[in-house]
Amino acid sequence: MEKKKLFAGIIVFGSLWGFAECILGPILDNAGLPSGALMTSIFAIGLMMISRMLYKKHGMQLGMGIVAGALRMFNPFGGCVICSAIAIAAEGLIFELIWYYLSLDLRELKSYTMKISMGFISAYFCYVGGYITTQILTPLVVSANFYIMNLIVFIPQILSRGLLAAFIGGITVPLVLILKDFNINSIKDKLYYSTAAAVSILCWIFIITNAVLLISS
Amino acid sequence: MKKKKLIPAVVLIILLIGSVSSLYVYATQSDELTISINGQKYTVDQLFFIAELRSIDSLNISGIALDDLIQKVCILPKHHEYTIVGADGYQKTVEWENMENGILTYEKIVVFSDLPKSFRVKNVVKIEVI
Repeated sequence: MEKKKLFAGIIVFGSLWGFAECILGPILDNAGLPSGALMTSIFAIGLMMISRMLYKKHGMQLGMGIVAGALRMFNPFGGCVICSAIAIAAEGLIFELIWYYLSLDLRELKSYTMKISMGFISAYFCYVGGYITTQILTPLVVSANFYIMNLIVFIPQILSRGLLAAFIGGITVPLVLILKDFNINSIKDKLYYSTAAAVSILCWIFIITNAVLLISS
Repeated sequence: MKKKKLIPAVVLIILLIGSVSSLYVYATQSDELTISINGQKYTVDQLFFIAELRSIDSLNISGIALDDLIQKVCILPKHHEYTIVGADGYQKTVEWENMENGILTYEKIVVFSDLPKSFRVKNVVKIEVI
């Protein structure tokens, strides 16, 4: 696959992820739902899994995390902006590390036990790892002090909350794998690039406009 | 073959860790109605009577000023650090400069105008002076 096509894929899937985090995350949060676990296990894991399956390239999910985190920075509403951006980028990196040792054609994931297990593991580690990373890095980014004890005493809560994300992740991955046989290269270049550009631009314009409107109101 | 055994085993380990953590969280969760400040227990009403009110206009939140509260409750010098602890165990340690920009709302939420939202602590049960 040519690099240009992969780059377009990173931008479009990262933008969709960032869009979901900016728009749906606060809606779930305001509804009193566990938005962090839901966003990680459904949108983050779902989109990273789809991109893994379609493009079969290492490094793509890390790139998506960086794009989604950058988009999250443009939306100053709904939760902690810096923490969310750091957690999103960290989730991309953690997913990449977990799936590094699995084949790119996902031949290991034939049985449902393996599909559910990988979804469970990915969602749990992405949620827990993202949470811990943001607790460490956010104080450093905002020039506040980081106190290790603050994190240690809260670790049981984080490990406990991760279970919800893990169970949902165990459903998300097998569902995404239904689309396994779709070949991204079968899409004509013209249609591929125009769709990727349109979706990415729409996501970014929507988020930036939404932020500007909220600030000015 | 190795992966086929290793991956489900990791799932079982996660289940075990998650379950034990959930039990620990459940067993240690506090449902205190008072807030302990430097070892002394106060109700929210008492604290709102003692300390002066402060609003954070940008966030549209009001409550009592944390720096004023500390001075009136503890009469401590400024060169300390303060750990705000929530009922769920979530805690954040801040400096006096942050306390000068912090409030405690009637709903027992501590908010700092100069720190990100991750520094908010909900359902505060304790403020420790370090």
